[in-house]
Amino acid sequence: MRIETECDQNSVVSRFLLFKRMAIFSHQQCFSLCLIAFLVPLAAQTPGIEFFEKEIRPVLVTKCYGCHSSKSKSPMGGLVLDTKNGLKKGGNGGPVLVVGDPASSRLFKALTYNQTELRMPPTGKLPNDKIAAFEKWIAAGAPDPRAETPEVAASATVKKGMDIESGRKWWAFQTVVPQPQPKVSDPLFAKRWTKEKIDWFILAKLEQKKLRPSPQADLATLINRASLDLTGLRPSYDEVQAFIADKDPTAYAKLIDRLLASPRYGERWGRYWLDVARYGEDNPTSEATNPPYPFAWRYRNWVIEATNKDVPYDKFVKLQLAADLMPNTSRDDFRALGYLGAAPIYHTDLRLSKEVTETIFTDAWDERVDSVSRGLLAMTVACARCHDHKFDPILTKDYYALAGIFASITAAPRPLVDLGKETDEKFMYTAQRLFYLSYMANLMNGEPGSKPEEAARKSAEFTTEMIKTRDSMSFLQESQPQMWAYLNNLVKVPRIKLKTDPEVVPDAKPALPFAARNRRPGASDLPFMQSVFDAGIWIDGADPDLTKVDIRPGMAHDMNILPHGNVANPGALAPRQFLTVLSKGDTTFKQGSGRLEFANDIFSKSGGLAARVIVNRVWGWHFGKPLVATESDFGVQGDKPTHPELLNDLAARFIANGQSLKWLHREIMLSAVYRQASLPREAGMAADPANALYWRMNPRRLDIEAYRDNLLQVSGDLENKLPSLSFDLDAPDNHLRTVYARVSRSRLNTVLALYDFPDPMMTAPRRELTTSPLQQLFVMNSPFLQERAVNLVKRATADTDSPGKIRDVYRAAVGRDPTPTELDTVLTYLNNGTLAQFAQALLASNEVIFWP
Amino acid sequence: MTFNSRQDKLSRRDWIASLSGGLGSLGLAGMLSEEQLRAAPAIGTAPKFPNFPAKAKHNIVLFMVGGPSQLDMFDYKPALLKYQGQRPSGVELRTERTTGGLLPSPFEFKQHGRGGVHVSSLLPNLASTIDDICVIKSMYTFNPTHVPARSLFHTGNIAATRPSMGSWISYGLGSENKDLPGFVVLGPGQNTGGGLARAGFLPSQHQGTNFDDSVTAPDKMIRYLQNKELNKDAQRRQLDLIQSMNRGYGQQFGHDEYLEGRIQSMETAFTMQFEATDVFDINKEPESVRSEYGDTPFAHGCLLARRLVERGVRTVHVYYGPGQPWDDHSKINKNLAERCPDMDQASAALVKDLRQRGLLGETLVVWGGEFGRTPVSESGDGRDHNPYGFTMWLAGGGVKGGMSYGETDDFGFKAVEKSVSIHDLHATMLHQMGIDHTKLTYRYAGRDFRLTDVYGEVVKDILL
Repeated sequence: MRIETECDQNSVVSRFLLFKRMAIFSHQQCFSLCLIAFLVPLAAQTPGIEFFEKEIRPVLVTKCYGCHSSKSKSPMGGLVLDTKNGLKKGGNGGPVLVVGDPASSRLFKALTYNQTELRMPPTGKLPNDKIAAFEKWIAAGAPDPRAETPEVAASATVKKGMDIESGRKWWAFQTVVPQPQPKVSDPLFAKRWTKEKIDWFILAKLEQKKLRPSPQADLATLINRASLDLTGLRPSYDEVQAFIADKDPTAYAKLIDRLLASPRYGERWGRYWLDVARYGEDNPTSEATNPPYPFAWRYRNWVIEATNKDVPYDKFVKLQLAADLMPNTSRDDFRALGYLGAAPIYHTDLRLSKEVTETIFTDAWDERVDSVSRGLLAMTVACARCHDHKFDPILTKDYYALAGIFASITAAPRPLVDLGKETDEKFMYTAQRLFYLSYMANLMNGEPGSKPEEAARKSAEFTTEMIKTRDSMSFLQESQPQMWAYLNNLVKVPRIKLKTDPEVVPDAKPALPFAARNRRPGASDLPFMQSVFDAGIWIDGADPDLTKVDIRPGMAHDMNILPHGNVANPGALAPRQFLTVLSKGDTTFKQGSGRLEFANDIFSKSGGLAARVIVNRVWGWHFGKPLVATESDFGVQGDKPTHPELLNDLAARFIANGQSLKWLHREIMLSAVYRQASLPREAGMAADPANALYWRMNPRRLDIEAYRDNLLQVSGDLENKLPSLSFDLDAPDNHLRTVYARVSRSRLNTVLALYDFPDPMMTAPRRELTTSPLQQLFVMNSPFLQERAVNLVKRATADTDSPGKIRDVYRAAVGRDPTPTELDTVLTYLNNGTLAQFAQALLASNEVIFWP
Repeated sequence: MTFNSRQDKLSRRDWIASLSGGLGSLGLAGMLSEEQLRAAPAIGTAPKFPNFPAKAKHNIVLFMVGGPSQLDMFDYKPALLKYQGQRPSGVELRTERTTGGLLPSPFEFKQHGRGGVHVSSLLPNLASTIDDICVIKSMYTFNPTHVPARSLFHTGNIAATRPSMGSWISYGLGSENKDLPGFVVLGPGQNTGGGLARAGFLPSQHQGTNFDDSVTAPDKMIRYLQNKELNKDAQRRQLDLIQSMNRGYGQQFGHDEYLEGRIQSMETAFTMQFEATDVFDINKEPESVRSEYGDTPFAHGCLLARRLVERGVRTVHVYYGPGQPWDDHSKINKNLAERCPDMDQASAALVKDLRQRGLLGETLVVWGGEFGRTPVSESGDGRDHNPYGFTMWLAGGGVKGGMSYGETDDFGFKAVEKSVSIHDLHATMLHQMGIDHTKLTYRYAGRDFRLTDVYGEVVKDILL
């Protein structure tokens, strides 16, 4: 345990300060009283060295040295508090100590938290007795027994994290270049065993450990493995037989090609991406100001279709960040913007202060920074929200430079029909504006509080503006009735009920009719998509009773650095630009929000990193274990690649081959490494139990999508089509593939949750698959499994006798014939059980969920 | 101990996941023997939990959704009557909604027990067992809105992504009973607590398991608990067939932890169907015990909580729901008079029952909501949210009884003396469970996370 590795500030700090600040007002009234109460017992003590040691030094050490230490290269505010001189000298803002006069000492003032801009420690006000101790100590002349100057300085001046210049040399940031084929010590074996360049890298490492690779898996295993891998579905019995019988030496390559061409491929591999893209169809709480996303499914379908089309990875990513800004983009590809347009947002009651509202918005922008930086670049940029990254070459200004991109865009539904950029953005702006006007009008009307007249006036004003705003779009009424209807539906005119005196009208119900109306679950097939457009967001706190969200189309919002994440204390401006460590010269973004420039920079300035990240992910999805174990963290705290040359080589060739994922699949799946048997071998288990060196294929288990889809396929119920909308997974007649099930951020389906579906609130590098008895209860007792078993038996029609039926059930369920022993066991079982019960047993068995 | 997602630990995590016989049995200390810890280089010298002697083995959180009014239950403020209807000048009483003048509590306060703790006439049963209870009157939190404040209470953070305290405890200590989850959430409805019981970035077996306590039939509380088609014998025969298939497959493939883990897990599930039916069936309790608790969903939850901790479940959260009943923006007096009796009866019965069974010493009970309420009125006869000062109480688990701790200001608005933040509460709870809150960390997305983030101080004054 290394406590010092821990982040000692984070975004909570901002909230903490915020609420502290809100709480402070009357706190001060009580403060002087409490102070007196505490001063009495302390008065008995004469402040001296002992007092310093007992009362002052512990506070300095635990609460101040973290930022104000002579050991730090750049102490905050230039203030050093761990030496006597430092304390005397003060910081950039001047002296902090006026000996004998606490009230004039900035140190003491900061501790009292009386001034908004001067509050220390930032993690929260000290207990009153501690503050009183400081007051007393300063009054008594601030006796300080410590050394005048730093005792140890030399070794301590080294910055803990990596600086930008050394950062540029970090392995992950280097250009990727094809590597020479590694030398092996047994070239004869190598010649016989290797099939692809990949294999040489693997073999060379295995030889170092004196390990041999495993032999090729049997053909039935191989076709099962490849089919599950690329489509998430097992081959039929007939397909297995045909593959085994095919003597063509290219049979396996042909199989891979066939699977890659199947529409089922995109359903499988699109889902992997959706984990990284934290795809969800609603919001964490789905309240009044963060309603569900009824058109998110269109983004999901786009991901699946684009994966099937093998859209080059760089383009695939760019479209998701900036489709609307890329020339010659088809309207279909605008659906990609759901990546940003259906990102999680958090409810903010606009009666809360500007600071609170702003913090909630910055939290949403923080989520985007985290998703793009970990998801696309495997960099934990979000760690730099409060301070420079403790380990990686990421500056706080890098964080706010990226956050500014997301502060410069507004999410809103975009029509499917293309009426041009101007109409698009006018529609989207109007939709958002109407949403907030309607929210505010109803809020003021529904919960007028104790200033009912003012609230009624505001409600009426918002209502008038709402109608006016809608009518500014009346040109759509005839030509685009659905667009008009959409806007019109946002206009919820409050039922005005005036209360003159709340004190005599006790029946003011705190209901939120507006909130309730916005809680529409489920998907909609109206012709819109979740999207974003360039429009900066500012939080307007001019009205103390109602904070407003100010959306300015076409304007970019460069953010100020917020030290400790505190919105109430903005620092220097951090213009939107790419990460410093990956850039040279002026890289500020100049076009709109800078989304497109950012997307381009990912591939032009950090092309090697982006390629390494996706190649590593794809490798991990194929092998169950990536080359860099921390898929979303290639920084100092992450892992190093087990096979750095291989990753380098593969990433370089991936770029050379047009960033085609299908190329990468072939490269990997045609290799000898991939084709190995997965059976445990003694030598391998002894030398490398975690299989870091790939002496065998990793045996795996199916995730929930593959498991459920296969059960449906086995029972003959799977409906293979690309549906519109999304569906309740538990609906008894839902026989669509699991990828089309509704993904809720507020109420994740219980079966998905049971089988380790990742939290769609944040980007997920991988599934952590667990085994629990509740899963087995589902397998043994759920109507879903029982129905599959019954339908599976109905398919066994080839024979009328029991052995024939048993054979058919085996063929359908596991793609093979039963062994004579198995047949005997089942026949015995049938003396006292039914075919359906046997079929369910087979479906429940390990063979169905295992993926050797 | 950081048990993170680094490569050298990946296989160990898979291995552990495969071993997880129980629903959430995977605590570090619970699973890893001393030898295994030593044999595991990646874990190395990491501390083991509990890392100092634990007072409590279990904890029960009684969660009053919506924010119960401290001013009508525990925080006696005569000034409210004196200045009734006024807004004292110079005192900032602003909250989210616009509020009126000071609203005195109509409920009579008396001092009870050896510590003379104030309790109102709404809570006669808790008053009668106040010597087991420590009332903290100086709680504060950092958000005035329900959802973020609930998130703060349960996860220490506003972001709806962090692990619940129940998951942290399960991660640190595991369950004592591998047939039951380490972290159980009880409340009316199938989704009580929602994301508040999430494991977040912790391994998913530490997720809270939800049970509906508005029904008393165990098979309605646990999804798929019962096989509707087969009786126990027939089911056993079917499971034997499954296991013979599994053994055959295992022999053919060779040793694999997942395959073996799933065989085990099937057996556990089979047993659980009948054992859970027993554990979760409060009708197994004698009528005399059940009548002590009462016959409401919350009472069922409290009684069930006792049955579960008795069987080794680490953490039970009982929600007083559905919805957020304690959110009394209006008609607060009438509402409290209706709602308090069953809450009072059941929570007092729980404390007494635990004491009588000798379980109170090892079970920490925590009562409270996401925040409290304002001393000033809202809409005439309600109270608005108040995160600045509110009351929670603790009982058992090595916490002193018969005392009140901390103070709010004269009007009960803000905590001013011995203030206890939500992080301090978490630190104290973990401390009583034998965990140093600064050491229970998890490496995720580039840094070590804690339940208490960078905050939290153990409230030592209230500990035995």
